Amino acid sequence: MVADWLGPHGGPIMLAGGRVTLGGDISSSVAPEDTGFFNYTDYDHSTLRTLRLALSASVKAGAHLALLTEIRSENGDPPEPYALYLRFRPWVDRRIDIQAGRVPPTFGAFARRTYPSENPLIGYPLAYQYLTSLRPDALPASVDELLAMRGRGWLSSFSLGNLAPEHGVPVANVFRWDTGVQVHAENDRVAATVSATTGTLSDPGGLAPRGAPQLAGRAAFHPLPGLVLGASASRGSFVSTSALAAVPGGRPAGDFAQTAWGGDVEYSAGYYLVRAETVISRWRLPIAQPSPASLPLAAAAAAVEGRYRLRPGLYAAGRIDRLAFSEVNGSALRESWDAPVTRWEAGVGYSIDRNLLVKVEYQHNVRDGGRVRRLSLTAAQLVFWF
Amino acid sequence: MRTIPRAMARVLAALAACTSSVAAVRGAAPAGGRAILVERSLAGAEAAAARAAAAAAGSIRGRVEVRRTIVLSERRPNPADLGGGRRLEAPDHGRSVVYLESGPRPAFDQREPARAVMDQRNETFVPHVLAIMAGTTVDFPNSDRIYHNVFSLSKPGPFDLGRYAAGRSKSVRFDRPGIIRVFCDIHSHMSAFILVFGHPYFTMTDGDGRYRLDNVPSGAYTIVAWNEGTTSEPAPVTVASGGTTEMDLLIR
Repeated sequence: MVADWLGPHGGPIMLAGGRVTLGGDISSSVAPEDTGFFNYTDYDHSTLRTLRLALSASVKAGAHLALLTEIRSENGDPPEPYALYLRFRPWVDRRIDIQAGRVPPTFGAFARRTYPSENPLIGYPLAYQYLTSLRPDALPASVDELLAMRGRGWLSSFSLGNLAPEHGVPVANVFRWDTGVQVHAENDRVAATVSATTGTLSDPGGLAPRGAPQLAGRAAFHPLPGLVLGASASRGSFVSTSALAAVPGGRPAGDFAQTAWGGDVEYSAGYYLVRAETVISRWRLPIAQPSPASLPLAAAAAAVEGRYRLRPGLYAAGRIDRLAFSEVNGSALRESWDAPVTRWEAGVGYSIDRNLLVKVEYQHNVRDGGRVRRLSLTAAQLVFWF
Repeated sequence: MRTIPRAMARVLAALAACTSSVAAVRGAAPAGGRAILVERSLAGAEAAAARAAAAAAGSIRGRVEVRRTIVLSERRPNPADLGGGRRLEAPDHGRSVVYLESGPRPAFDQREPARAVMDQRNETFVPHVLAIMAGTTVDFPNSDRIYHNVFSLSKPGPFDLGRYAAGRSKSVRFDRPGIIRVFCDIHSHMSAFILVFGHPYFTMTDGDGRYRLDNVPSGAYTIVAWNEGTTSEPAPVTVASGGTTEMDLLIR
């Protein structure tokens, strides 16, 4: 059995008398070519066609201080520190932590369970993965230019700022963590987190200099066992200073912010688990023509997912997901600034061993725009974790 | 006056005690009938055989030394956690299970239903190791204020109890001998072992590693100690009637 290799508890690996703990996630996903780029996280990577190696570590330096990190490599890319931060607990007996460095996402619920072993399906919710046409380093000169990029978030280009074609950003990006300071406190009923970071929800940890830092907060309530109600909010400068420099009549970067609100609920009992999450985001961009009144741009995403355990080691899961965009006035017509997407996924997961999981799913995507408007995909994933 | 041998006197006394207790238990049945007499005789004979076997039994005692590093259970390093985790209570990994690799044949037929408890407290299974006989039903109460989901994928007895809240309990009956690895689907650091035996000749060591296995029928056996998935070298041991055999075991 695989777990025997990891010792009697199936991991994690402990070193230095328990001061160093190592865990890992290895996953391999296979699927046919996603010709509509529905599952891509940039121009090269699709969540359905990924080999991911992730090694996480916790190094404790006494009862108050720990260093946490995760080194990740995807599809053979050089390993990168996905997470790297210090966790300081001022009072050992109080559940209050201060974290500094490349910290986990404050906003939302799915953002912190992206590990394949925690995601019942293979695909990600649209809010956290689907690439819109917006870019922090490039700006459309007009609404028409923005509309021309509908459904082309995997490779969008605009005439102001960085002229090179690049992928756009999702509503909330979980493929890169942000850098900053985070404070978390919780008791048995309530958990609260606030953070100040350099990026924004769509573009965390971006290297491009921009205005004010992002402020984010989340509160989660546990009124009953198995029930979690969460609310999140964030606001931070979205447009980079280099892109703004290309805009006539320059304005401060802080004026062009991404503001987001989120709500999530999870309920579980017996053999089933149900989750729902919504994210609403608004971006203010310096687009002058033809009608500034149609700004800010807004996007709203909602996903509902469920999982049911059929027998020991075997479950069935499904997710329905919708991402919609606000309408803007182009010179010829009024339509949503990006193409709305609907996705549904259904699949099963089977644990061959406690640490070895195989998933198979069917996914169907519908988009109101772009080159490919409907696409069905079947995917399989093998996950090993410790 | 003819003298009754002492052993026979004990068997007769045991028989008398047994028949009276059987009669007490079955007092609702019509008294004085032939069937009751036969029942009494059979029950008495079984008890007598058991007492006779006990009289011919001995004990094994000793100490188990665990030399290898005991692997502690710890949370997975999950950098995605926002923090706020509780301090974990360390399970007792030092206690070992000592058992006879094979037992006398009749022992395998003794499958009286029994119950045992594996609690869930402070995100820990208590006890961490449970040794039971096949046919035993184990209760898994949740004594935490959060959900747990006890499950096992072990071949002798896979089960999944689903999520349930504090104050509730669910049970599993283990009918097949083997090692059951128990986990919580929600808290990956929670793990425990249930060792299911086909005979009653097993025991747990105390905090110092000492053990005592009583009522072992006289004969030659192989004894083994188990700790956290590792076993000692099987050691031959001979049990003499009424005697106590010393046997120390080492787990590397």
